[in-house]
Amino acid sequence: MMAGLGTRVLAVLAAISLSACGVNNVVVQGSFPTPNISPLPLSVAVFYDPALTEFAYIEYSETGTEEYNIASGQSHVELFNAVLPAMFDEVVVVGSLEEAEMLGVDAIFAPLIEEFQLALPSKTKLDVYEVWIKYNMRLMAADGEYIADWVLTSYGKTPTESMRSAESAINDAAVVALRDLASSFSLSFTQVPEVRDWLNTL
Amino acid sequence: MKHYPETFKISSALLFLIALASCTTTTIDEFRQAETGIENNESVVILGRRQASDYETRSEFVDCVGERMTRGDGAISIVPEQEFVDAMFPWFEPRTAPLRTRDLERLMTEDVVADRMTEFGIRYIVWLDGFTETTDRSGSISCTVGPGGAGCFGFGSWEDDANFDARVWDVGSLSNVGTISTDATGQSYLPALVIPIPLIARVEANACSRLATQLKEFVNGS
Repeated sequence: MMAGLGTRVLAVLAAISLSACGVNNVVVQGSFPTPNISPLPLSVAVFYDPALTEFAYIEYSETGTEEYNIASGQSHVELFNAVLPAMFDEVVVVGSLEEAEMLGVDAIFAPLIEEFQLALPSKTKLDVYEVWIKYNMRLMAADGEYIADWVLTSYGKTPTESMRSAESAINDAAVVALRDLASSFSLSFTQVPEVRDWLNTL
Repeated sequence: MKHYPETFKISSALLFLIALASCTTTTIDEFRQAETGIENNESVVILGRRQASDYETRSEFVDCVGERMTRGDGAISIVPEQEFVDAMFPWFEPRTAPLRTRDLERLMTEDVVADRMTEFGIRYIVWLDGFTETTDRSGSISCTVGPGGAGCFGFGSWEDDANFDARVWDVGSLSNVGTISTDATGQSYLPALVIPIPLIARVEANACSRLATQLKEFVNGS
């Protein structure tokens, strides 16, 4: 009876110690307000590539083991769904580029994440968690021809706090970076030279 | 046995001295550039500056100052920071927020921004910038657990220094009407004789309290 209990206690302790060594999962969650800007009189189809919707970044420890797995794909979709309807008169989400080409819209927008970086206080010796994301924004005409293809970066940070977990701080820094993306994308869209030239032809 | 009262007196005196030493010193500087005043239907928004690369003004400190300004004589209506920033999105994000009153002037030419400002009844924008730094950590405490019990022995101390600047912008005249700076310092102690007794200097709380009082008087024009 005692031996059985001892085995169970050992099994629980082993499970706890093993889980403590595993990767910490962070699914980025936040709320994104709608931008207060004047929408452009355009109909735009949006294609979320699986590379964006399923995007996850793995941060490795100094010993090479997986430390954090940060899934931010869905939060990017939520962000674009909040931002794009404020930027354009009509927005349609499509499942493929072919579907978008058949809709006869003014433009097709397909964002991608090129790079994701995380800076932890334990490594930088600063009292902030930092997230840096590099995007490839692609805008195509209805026939699939490229109108513009440009790079946008976003940055977010959050200070360390004694009663807050690293996962929560990483999430908050990522949400700040996503809001930064939304603000710079919505305010700089018409200033991208290729986009500006294309808008002048309409 | 006769030594106990004396030991108790010495210990009490020591603890009292340490408690006194863990007090906070706060200095407030005010620089006024124009007359101020606020009507009952007008409000103030307090925003934290988050442009620096190695620190950012904590939203808890911003909330603390705002909450204290809504209390007592001459209480002021404060718009919560997050509510304002969300309603103004994307114009008051760290990368897009106005850094100078000239930028605010340009921003107010956007109808959406001007309308929201009017809806909130914002008369003053207060920009808080600063952080609390812990320095001069010294001492050590060791804790042990044994079959007979557990205990900690040792002594630790550190100094906290809170530095915050509050720049007040008048949304009516689109100008900087003044700056209030606060500098609070305090030494904290952690003696441990079996049980650790934290004697914490409430540096940031004092900085918040003093800054809020000064800001309230400044905005009211008194």
